[in-house]
Amino acid sequence: MKIIFFFIYIFVFGIYSYSQKSEELIPSEAVTVFSLNNIKLLQKISLDQLVQYEFMEELQQELFDGSTKEKTIRDSGLDFDQKLNVFFGKNRNYLLSGITFGVSNESNLFAVFDDFKPVESYYKDIKWYDSYINSLLIKNNIAILLRVEPNSQKVDFMTDSIWYAQGNSSPWEYWDEDYKEAPIYGEDSALVSNPEEEMNNDTYNSEINMKNYYELRDSIQFSLQQFYEKQVLDEIFIQNKRLIMTDNRFANQLSHETEGSFYFDYSRKIEKSGDSFYFKGIMPAIYNNIDELYSENIILGDLVLIDNHLEFRMETKYNEKLGAIYTKLGDTKMDKNVKKYIHKNCPAFFVYKINLKEAYEKAFEIVMPILEKETKNVDLITNALVLDLLNEFIDKDALFDTYKGSFFGCFNGVKKISTTKIEFIYDEETFDYYEKETEAEEDMPIFTVGISTKRHEVPEKILNYLSKIASSRKYKQLRYINNQKGKEYYIMEKAIFNSAPLYMINKNGLFIMTNDEDLAKNYSNGYEDLAISTKELKKTEKGGILYGKIDLNSTVNLFPRDILSAKENELIDALRGKSGKIEITTTKTNEQCTDLNLVYDFKSENDGPGKHILDLINAIYVISR
Amino acid sequence: MRKILYILLFLPLFLTSCIEIIDDLSLNADGSGTFKYTINLSSSKVKVNTLLKLDSLNGKKMMKLPEIKTKINQFKTALASQPGISNVKIETNDIEFIIKLSCDFKNIEKLQESIKNSLASIDSEIKNSSDFSFNWVSWNGSKFERSIPDFSQNQLKDLKAEDLNLLNNGSYTLISRFYKPINKCDNQGASISKSRTAVMLKANTYSLTKNTKILENTIYLDQK
Repeated sequence: MKIIFFFIYIFVFGIYSYSQKSEELIPSEAVTVFSLNNIKLLQKISLDQLVQYEFMEELQQELFDGSTKEKTIRDSGLDFDQKLNVFFGKNRNYLLSGITFGVSNESNLFAVFDDFKPVESYYKDIKWYDSYINSLLIKNNIAILLRVEPNSQKVDFMTDSIWYAQGNSSPWEYWDEDYKEAPIYGEDSALVSNPEEEMNNDTYNSEINMKNYYELRDSIQFSLQQFYEKQVLDEIFIQNKRLIMTDNRFANQLSHETEGSFYFDYSRKIEKSGDSFYFKGIMPAIYNNIDELYSENIILGDLVLIDNHLEFRMETKYNEKLGAIYTKLGDTKMDKNVKKYIHKNCPAFFVYKINLKEAYEKAFEIVMPILEKETKNVDLITNALVLDLLNEFIDKDALFDTYKGSFFGCFNGVKKISTTKIEFIYDEETFDYYEKETEAEEDMPIFTVGISTKRHEVPEKILNYLSKIASSRKYKQLRYINNQKGKEYYIMEKAIFNSAPLYMINKNGLFIMTNDEDLAKNYSNGYEDLAISTKELKKTEKGGILYGKIDLNSTVNLFPRDILSAKENELIDALRGKSGKIEITTTKTNEQCTDLNLVYDFKSENDGPGKHILDLINAIYVISR
Repeated sequence: MRKILYILLFLPLFLTSCIEIIDDLSLNADGSGTFKYTINLSSSKVKVNTLLKLDSLNGKKMMKLPEIKTKINQFKTALASQPGISNVKIETNDIEFIIKLSCDFKNIEKLQESIKNSLASIDSEIKNSSDFSFNWVSWNGSKFERSIPDFSQNQLKDLKAEDLNLLNNGSYTLISRFYKPINKCDNQGASISKSRTAVMLKANTYSLTKNTKILENTIYLDQK
């Protein structure tokens, strides 16, 4: 779900920018690009409405700071015949983000982008505007809005190097509560008569000695930002080194006649283990270091809109080695018992089926030779040693039979759950009061998650030991319940938010955790006739590793209002009354690629598809964050 | 006091509909006494726990539990250092979300002054607020007047009607205790204890939002 949301999120950013041949201005260092080909869909949406979306608020508040009042996207000066492209990139030196788009009316554009002021341009026929942190460059009728932020670790490193080389002591020793009231560097700061002017001097020169640590850091950050921004812009406007020219796959993706397209070059992404959901659980430290494994790893996608049917079609491509691991990962069948625990009226569920053991074996076979070649990187060699030893010592059969890797999850609506509260009881004689624990009820979303296991005795052992440990505690006591009708489960009192019980069911090859009292007490063997139909799960059985389905209407309507802020409720309200369904499917994984499709069927009589798309994306953002 | 109510009462009020507040003040013959203030959110544990996980609410940054505890401790330290205040205790129950503040004071004026100063020590902007001059209790030896601050109507405007209705589940209890019998009190809703040395006045939080004066009370002691 996380990766799906990521794609959607990227798409939303894409909605903002746009261009005709505007794609030609995308820097080659962009790792992620979303291009919205048909931004006419959004032209009726007011800018005020747009900036109200929570996802926009965080990203675009600097751009739309009151200048959007009573304007629609149509009024923003964008050229609707061009694509709007949003891009992100990160390398070891800097973080890059921005949008490229076509411009039909510059005065309208600057009525919205009113923080930008013209500055002298280094490039022929290019108009250059700056705001506090962004640059906007316009070439004929296309524009790029660019932000370059130097790698903060690099900035820290350079600042520390210069700071200590000057013979200064640690700046952090003054970092205590008194620091603000009695600044150590008060006199030094006073010597810098105009910090802004100082920064504009572009370098840390002889006056550097007068700067305190933070001023020095600011100067270095500013200088690096200028340096890297120039590097990026030189590549675009002088060297003609742009993404569309450096990556044919991107150029090819843009040629698709769809509503939008998506490009994500995972092989160039830094910090891969951060969101590599496949390997996060296996060998994260090692996978983070093996660029070789990720070469040619790219995700390409299309957004297709047909009537009330919105579809994201994504294809993940990879090299043979990674493909071999992925293939093993997906080489499993759906656990038939999962079906028993998904209620036929369940408004949202997902099933994730992987073969962790096979994937581990294949990964070990592929990765170890790569690691064994390493002779210098101490971290990597250490990781390799640990991995090799673990592989020798651990009983992998026991481990992977206990946790096979497959799991499922359901949202079963919102129910009143029994909790306790403290009441103050008053003595009528004196009005003295004392505390008394009494029964209470609260609304709670009901969730169920379960993993497949061949070794049910292992969780059983853990639960038995835990129940003994917990027996002396006032809170979170763990008990085994057998109601003599074949219904058995464990219950941990006050496990959730110190108030609601958590139930655990360990049978039928599944270990299930849920806060659904009904499931635990009445259906611990499964829902039987009330379970989801085989037909409903057919796609899960035939498809790849992930299948998910959300009845948007039921889910949104059931979600408790009072745990959301007023603003979030507004957004959820925007989806209420619309009967939409989201379905996520994946194809069987092979050695070259995996396809992932997200289909959203919506029914909306009043709003255009653009509004619907934004509402959906925003709701997912609100719910998922 | 308004600010402490804002911090200890007002915020939780809007974080949860099921808040219980007990504002308990005991007065001795020499004007000294004991002040106890209890906030009970135990009937909304799920909701409070959920809200504590939010980064922001209605566009404002949400404090996390450690931050809230730090603020409370700062307040406690500041209050304990005030002249005329002693025996300051703050108990927090993180599981049930109950906060109990208690302290002894030399006289009513010292109590009010100390609370204001303590609040100012954790938020210097309070001094500039008109609320800073607000006094919620007075005592002249025979007549005792109590009130609670106005609730911020601006904040309430952001609440939907259905949310306001949920405030019906919350309560604010005002207890005043004395060293000798009570003769009478002005507020018709108040109850006098059988011992006639304590007065209790209770309102639900919804009613308070509609009429902040319903907890105002003037209590007259026997002159014998």
